[in-house]
Amino acid sequence: MIVLAYILLILAGAFLLYMTFRTNDRRYIYLAVAFYVIFPVVLTMQLPIDISPESQQLYDAIAALPDSSAVMLTFDYYASTLAETEPMSRAVLHHMFKKNCRVVTMTTIPLGGPSISERVTRDLAEEYGKEYGVDYVNLGYKANYVAVLKGMGSSIKAIYPADNSGTPLDEIPLMAEIKNYDDLDFICVIADNGVVEYWMSIVNAQYGIKIGSGVTAVMAPKIYAYVGSGQMTGLLGGMKGAADYEKLVGKPDAAIKGMAAQSLVHLFIIFAVIVGNVIYIVERRRGKGRV
Amino acid sequence: MNRLRPVWTLLLGLLITLLLFTVASAQTESDGAFRVDRLNALIFMALFSIVILIYTRWAKSGKKLFIRKINGLDEVEEAVGRATEMGKPVLFIPGLQEIDEIETIAAISILGRVAKITARYDTPLMVPVRYPMVMAAGQEVVEQAYIEEGKPDAYNKDIVRYVAGEQFAFTATVNGIMMRDRPATNIFMGAFFAESLLLAETGNAAGSIQIAGTAQPSQLPFFIAACDYTLMGEELYAASAYLSHEPLLLGGLKGQDWMKIILVLSILIGTILLSFGVGDWFYDLYKSV
Amino acid sequence: MRTTVPVIIAFLSGFVMILAFFFNPEKSFIGRLEPEVLAWVTIVGGFTLLLGVVSIVRVNFTAVKRRKENWPYKLATLISIFAMAIPAILPSSWSPLLGTGTGSIYDWLFNYLDAPMMSTMFAMLAFYIASAAFRAFRARNAEATLLLVTATLVMLWRVPMGEAFLKSIHGDLPQYINTYIMGGANLAVQRGIIIGAAMGAAAMSLRIMLGIERTYMGK
Repeated sequence: MIVLAYILLILAGAFLLYMTFRTNDRRYIYLAVAFYVIFPVVLTMQLPIDISPESQQLYDAIAALPDSSAVMLTFDYYASTLAETEPMSRAVLHHMFKKNCRVVTMTTIPLGGPSISERVTRDLAEEYGKEYGVDYVNLGYKANYVAVLKGMGSSIKAIYPADNSGTPLDEIPLMAEIKNYDDLDFICVIADNGVVEYWMSIVNAQYGIKIGSGVTAVMAPKIYAYVGSGQMTGLLGGMKGAADYEKLVGKPDAAIKGMAAQSLVHLFIIFAVIVGNVIYIVERRRGKGRV
Repeated sequence: MNRLRPVWTLLLGLLITLLLFTVASAQTESDGAFRVDRLNALIFMALFSIVILIYTRWAKSGKKLFIRKINGLDEVEEAVGRATEMGKPVLFIPGLQEIDEIETIAAISILGRVAKITARYDTPLMVPVRYPMVMAAGQEVVEQAYIEEGKPDAYNKDIVRYVAGEQFAFTATVNGIMMRDRPATNIFMGAFFAESLLLAETGNAAGSIQIAGTAQPSQLPFFIAACDYTLMGEELYAASAYLSHEPLLLGGLKGQDWMKIILVLSILIGTILLSFGVGDWFYDLYKSV
Repeated sequence: MRTTVPVIIAFLSGFVMILAFFFNPEKSFIGRLEPEVLAWVTIVGGFTLLLGVVSIVRVNFTAVKRRKENWPYKLATLISIFAMAIPAILPSSWSPLLGTGTGSIYDWLFNYLDAPMMSTMFAMLAFYIASAAFRAFRARNAEATLLLVTATLVMLWRVPMGEAFLKSIHGDLPQYINTYIMGGANLAVQRGIIIGAAMGAAAMSLRIMLGIERTYMGK
């Protein structure tokens, strides 16, 4: 049944591509992409996932931390990229909680950042029976990220006198043990913007703390430079990176489900590009023949 | 420009003082008042400044400097001309970053040149912006351009207008403008992020001529795919010098080229030395302690 | 005078930031200047926000008043601005619906209107990428063909179905793509552009600080 549905889907794609060529209207392509995105969500299909070396590197770095290490997880992304970034946060947080890490979370995003981090951490903390203030803390948002990133090097309390819900840091037991970057063993930055480069140039370069990251697929080629040079310890690139990590921690979720849609859309684009090129070459030859 | 001589002298003087201070303090640890670990950056910066200043002086003394052709910038006037012929507006987006971003400043410089051309031909200009500070700077530049072209009455404060502070709200507004007002020419200059393709593809669908320029490497492929001309990386910063043909600005570009040669040589030397396993000292020169 | 004073301010502000970079904030006054200057930027930015609000209200209000073409859109903009801003500005001590806390009108509007709309806009990229790729990837010449082949390989490599296909051709092909295309060619190009752009930005900053570049002031 599923196979039949997929055959129909392929035929529909071919028809829509034919219509694009006939009418020169790009909206047929949009319609085809919509089909390929929605269909696998309705008819779920599990695909085998091969782990990228950069995802494995991030996993290994967190796996190598001693139990109950202090780590930081950032939620530096807007609600617009939730589909790509939230699965990364969840997968990494699963790993951190599994390892009994003490987790400090924060965000440099004013619009939605604090509520996303609050929702994700509380959700997973419940699953692992973690206690707020002892096992994890949500620092929330503070303006001017350059000053925040620099300031936390000397004192986290100076930048965040209180946590996201307004509780003074002095009243939170976990924060009595974590004063600044020196007390952290690892930072994982999940971001959809250039702030990840500030984490590297300010926190990694100047305080020498290990940083791994998860970024959107569009940003990944640029951030590869940091992994290649050995400055960054592991990278999750786009939804594939998130799917890798979900597989590594054994918690298949939204990213693994999304792989089928992403596969189909990629294959459709490749197919469209090939067909477009064949037509282009044929027309060019015909044109030459006429001359 | 003579008035600026004291400024240059002051800068050089301060740099030399700083160097002397460093040497005199002769700190061996990096926890003193001066960051010894950043001495390499200071030396590079001083060298960079001196080379640029030397070339600027040469340019000032009348030495002719060559600048290669940049198609995207040559097309700006042509594209505005097309809008004039069609009686349609020109849309200029100075990126989606604050005014403290150097890319935005480069974009504002280009906006000044574009505004002069639109003022000259009485072509409507629309400049939606994401930040109020960029709006203030943009209004200043456009007003000045209209005054210089002798058309102060044609200037309207709402040419440069704030539309939304949120990235995708801004994108939706600009896409709406493109589809409703159908500008003949879209110019995207400055820092762009995920919205680059949303803007450029909508402009393409609306049939506009599009010229883009950004120093964001991850957005360049999108602009190249959907725009007619794209300025890559440093071409954006060279734009004001290129468009104005001001020798002093061109001098800065020449100095920059020399620094690039020095960097390329450093990379080559470092690669060779490290490949033969004798380059650790050379690598350490570039590292923060 | 109209340009000399701004040039001096630009020079001093820039120079303070450069100096601060080389001094320890804990040990010297100069090092502590950087956050001060950054705080000033935030303060000035806060004041200009008012300019933005005035601009957006004036442009849209005039259009609504004169019943210009598409005026209902402008009215929707005006209503949205005030519907979001007023309840957020008012103190939450008056009512739990006010302010920006959980359960407030602002929070509700953000979670159920703003966030889905932002996600929708971002998701539209998938459609636009498909049509742009379809149009742009044409084997016009040798370079364009190389681009086409590289893009196809990377697109296949990034998804499980494509990866399985590549493996059926050669078991190590995905690994080669990762090493040579992403870790080799991609990195080299990215670094080249980043270094060039950084040099351009530094040179432009210097020109601005020294008052050579004044085009951003309309000169």
